[in-house]
Amino acid sequence: MSSSDIVKSALSEGRTKLLEHEALKLMELYGIKVADYGFAVTPAEAGLISEKIGYPVVVKVVSPDISHKTDVGGVILGLKSRDEVVQGCEKIVKNVSERQPGARVTGFLVQKMMPQGLEVIIGATRDQVFGPVVMFGLGGIFVEVLRDVTFRVAPVSLQDALEMLGEIKASKILDGYRSLPPVDKKAIASMIVSLSKLMEENPYISSVDLNPVIAYSSGAVVVDARVIIGKSGVVNR
Amino acid sequence: MSLSRLFNPRSIAVIGASRNPDKIGHVILRNLVEYGYKGKIYPVNPSANEILGLKAYKSVLEIDDEVDVAIIAIPADKVLEAAEECGRKGVKFLVVITSGFSEAGNEEGEKKLVEVARKYGMRVLGPNIFGYAYTPSRINATFGTKDIAVGGISFLTQSGALGIALMGWTLMEELGMAALVSLGNMSDLDATEISDYLADDENTKVITIYLEGLKPGTGKAFIEKMRRVVARKPVIVIKAGKSTRGSMAAASHTGSLAGSSRIYEAAFKQAGVLEASTVEEMFDWARAFSLLEIPRGDKTVILTNGGGVGVLATDAAEKYNIPLIDPSNELKNKLRKVMPWYGSVRNPIDLTGGALVDNYVKALEILEESDEVDNIILLYCRTAVLDPIELAKTLAEFKKKLSKPIVAGFVGGADVREAIRILNKNGIPTYPSPERAVSSLAAMLEYRRIRSRLGGVA
Repeated sequence: MSSSDIVKSALSEGRTKLLEHEALKLMELYGIKVADYGFAVTPAEAGLISEKIGYPVVVKVVSPDISHKTDVGGVILGLKSRDEVVQGCEKIVKNVSERQPGARVTGFLVQKMMPQGLEVIIGATRDQVFGPVVMFGLGGIFVEVLRDVTFRVAPVSLQDALEMLGEIKASKILDGYRSLPPVDKKAIASMIVSLSKLMEENPYISSVDLNPVIAYSSGAVVVDARVIIGKSGVVNR
Repeated sequence: MSLSRLFNPRSIAVIGASRNPDKIGHVILRNLVEYGYKGKIYPVNPSANEILGLKAYKSVLEIDDEVDVAIIAIPADKVLEAAEECGRKGVKFLVVITSGFSEAGNEEGEKKLVEVARKYGMRVLGPNIFGYAYTPSRINATFGTKDIAVGGISFLTQSGALGIALMGWTLMEELGMAALVSLGNMSDLDATEISDYLADDENTKVITIYLEGLKPGTGKAFIEKMRRVVARKPVIVIKAGKSTRGSMAAASHTGSLAGSSRIYEAAFKQAGVLEASTVEEMFDWARAFSLLEIPRGDKTVILTNGGGVGVLATDAAEKYNIPLIDPSNELKNKLRKVMPWYGSVRNPIDLTGGALVDNYVKALEILEESDEVDNIILLYCRTAVLDPIELAKTLAEFKKKLSKPIVAGFVGGADVREAIRILNKNGIPTYPSPERAVSSLAAMLEYRRIRSRLGGVA
């Protein structure tokens, strides 16, 4: 399945957002490393997938109707066996039916729990004057409270992306802070470059949040990808 | 078509030239005449025989000569017809002053105007502008101030009212201008194309732009073209309308953070365009670029007669990442000989409040000679012993021997104001505060870095 197939089929179903596993698949098509995952339609299938991935895993509800999965009890972390995964999926179905009755449950995303690292956010949006733009920042308080992020108009080179990393106010944290080792800047920068390419080649994608991306001393991994789609593409008017 | 004939026309017709001194068509004609344009001027007015001593024509078609530029200042509903006549006449550039086009919802009229121009191979500046000026050709085809100081700053503005106001202001501040262009609706000629022409204009040393916004889909071309301009000439932009507009993109985190101002900032950085935060800052920087050559290095010294201004300048230098050198012992020993014993030979070099003209000159001679120094920030506080005008006149003379970039901050009252004026007239960019002098040098050093990075682009 190509990136445009994924987007087109979602658009044809009248959706404005890709499902979790579609979004992750899209990232993989652009060489962006994502945490190991599998998509299951039934709890039993989720159990099988979890064995392949290895524990611990997280299970997330996949639904076109739910935008805040955690709020409806649609995410269960730290599952350590096939049985726990099966039960977890059943619990999620129950939670959703109680808290958001009528929401369709397409299936479950089973995902490897990633070890701790530095959480960063990589994003992209489409501006009506400049076209695709990419964004980089540190996760959590840095992006939400301090809005310490930086932008570039696509296409960006690896050099541009590395400059972005040095541009945020908290950039020193990338070089190691307290117990955290220096992170793999090149891995993050390559991800920004790939996302820039993805935006340029897929005009129907209006914005992407890779949040969080967990960065390590070697490599970086996308844990959650949110992809908004639309016929016009443009977000910023 | 090159824009050369717009800025160096052999003849200009003013369509809508009026005898009534209150009319825009009259003011433009009068400014053209009084500022001393040496080419032919043809007033066009169907009901006048003569305006301001010039023979008037009923139509542009009646003019028995080639017309390079036609200034159009007539009501919007008559513009298309006049443009059509200009096309038939073989006019090369239409400068459409008239308002009432896309800015007022009349997209159709603007589209037709451009179509007429295309049909005859004419280019359009405007509509909805206050005109344009180019001092080397003594053209002042604006309804702004009559006089414009001559110099190396070119200014493009998307705001008409602000542009006219700034014409008066630049005159008062003695900022020397080369081209002054009201961009208006940018129906045809836009900021990038005009900048691209001015990048090769020998009279333009720096391009300043007041920008409100670019048209949808033109952002990428702006970045690419401006990069090629910046490889040749420094460009300073001030972007209006920076307030955030968040809510429309709430579907994603990135979208909600990406206010248009953040994206413009990124784009300017990518283009190598310097972004000023105020009009004053833009023209401060422009003054330095217009008077000095681009620095050869970034090693900088501060020379002062006051500790306080020296420290303020040091703080500003740190803020703007200007490397202040630590003078070698050899340099210190030389400097020690030209200042009072209680002065300081570290950087800032403090000649103390007892400094006289001679101390400044001798110190400058040493700094000019030294390989340790690329740039000089010269500061002066009004003291009882040193008359600022005497210092300014001496420095103006000394500047002729000085090869290194020098910016100055002079602090004091009315006579200091006069000293600043003398220095600016004589090629030393001078400001009424140390911080503004430092900020202007910082902009030049930033451009130096940008240009070396863009080296391969042009």
